[in-house]
Amino acid sequence: MALINVAAREIHGKIVYYGPGLSGKTTNLQYIHARIPAQHKGELLSIATEAERTLFFDFLPLDLGKVHGFTIRFHLYTVPGQVLYERTRVAVLNGADGVVFVADAQRDRLAENLQSLRELGQNLSAQGKKFLDFPLVLQYNKMDLPDALPVPVLDRYLNPMRVPRFEAVAINGIGVFETLRAITKLVVSRL
Amino acid sequence: MSERQTERLVISPEAAAQLAGCLQRLMTDSNASLTMVIDRSGRVIVAESREPRSKLDDLGVLIAAAYASLQEIARLLKEETFQTVLHEGLRERIVTETVGTKWLLVVLFDEQAQVGLVRVLVRRTASTLAAILELQQQRATRGYRPRPKPLKRAAQDTIDLLFGKEPSEPDRPPSR
Repeated sequence: MALINVAAREIHGKIVYYGPGLSGKTTNLQYIHARIPAQHKGELLSIATEAERTLFFDFLPLDLGKVHGFTIRFHLYTVPGQVLYERTRVAVLNGADGVVFVADAQRDRLAENLQSLRELGQNLSAQGKKFLDFPLVLQYNKMDLPDALPVPVLDRYLNPMRVPRFEAVAINGIGVFETLRAITKLVVSRL
Repeated sequence: MSERQTERLVISPEAAAQLAGCLQRLMTDSNASLTMVIDRSGRVIVAESREPRSKLDDLGVLIAAAYASLQEIARLLKEETFQTVLHEGLRERIVTETVGTKWLLVVLFDEQAQVGLVRVLVRRTASTLAAILELQQQRATRGYRPRPKPLKRAAQDTIDLLFGKEPSEPDRPPSR
């Protein structure tokens, strides 16, 4: 739920990076954190296992600065992608104003992508949101890998909704900011 | 694109003053060092502190996350909810109390404050805060006014500048 504090002249939006395990959600935030100037970001907070798998979430606050007298902030989150953390994903998704679905473009991950996307739709519906109306952007990550599916195939299975989608190689930063730009602008357009 | 409204909470200056007043009274009466209201996502709506504090955002996010975990534990135990949560450290204690269905009241205090008194005062304050916030929520839902277009346009230009694109350059269309 967007927070508009007229007294403090602040607008807050929450964006959640969702997707199956090891699809690149944390990598997206790590890249964003590494590249954004210091005055526009806070620390990247990660609650993870010793093996650096996300246990609860990653959190990155971004501050766009003052726009027409309002300070605009975004809180970026990732969810843990492993199957057993479904309840945790529900908790992190609560209150989201926009979602980036990070899909692993590799051929043998398609089923997991579909399952995760289906779960996202169910969780948004359970929170009273209409999936087809909700600010959503897809990212097809790992497009550099030899067994990455072609974009038209990924579109056919993952994007019947025809939401904006971007090819990415998040570990190199390719597509990361295009994706972030798209989702933040989509959230702002709905304020 | 049609103007579809995102769910929102709008805090008016009057409501912000009422919320701050509640928290200041609570802080004084309970001898707490920090009181704040956060939403269930951890965003700080209002905070009062005896000393300047940094990292309130992080604190709010982590407390909300801890609370969310506990709600899942409650569900597993077939308990409706954990309304009050107390964390005790060596020096600091934190009480988290539900405020309505969407917010949390967080109070930070040390061993000089009495836990029992704090809990009573917190519960009383939570009811007052819930009334203020729920009214703001209803007003935001009923009286939807789209943000002025110049603000949205300026925000989107700022996004373009910050995230690496000249505002005048058209967005690259998704590849086909």
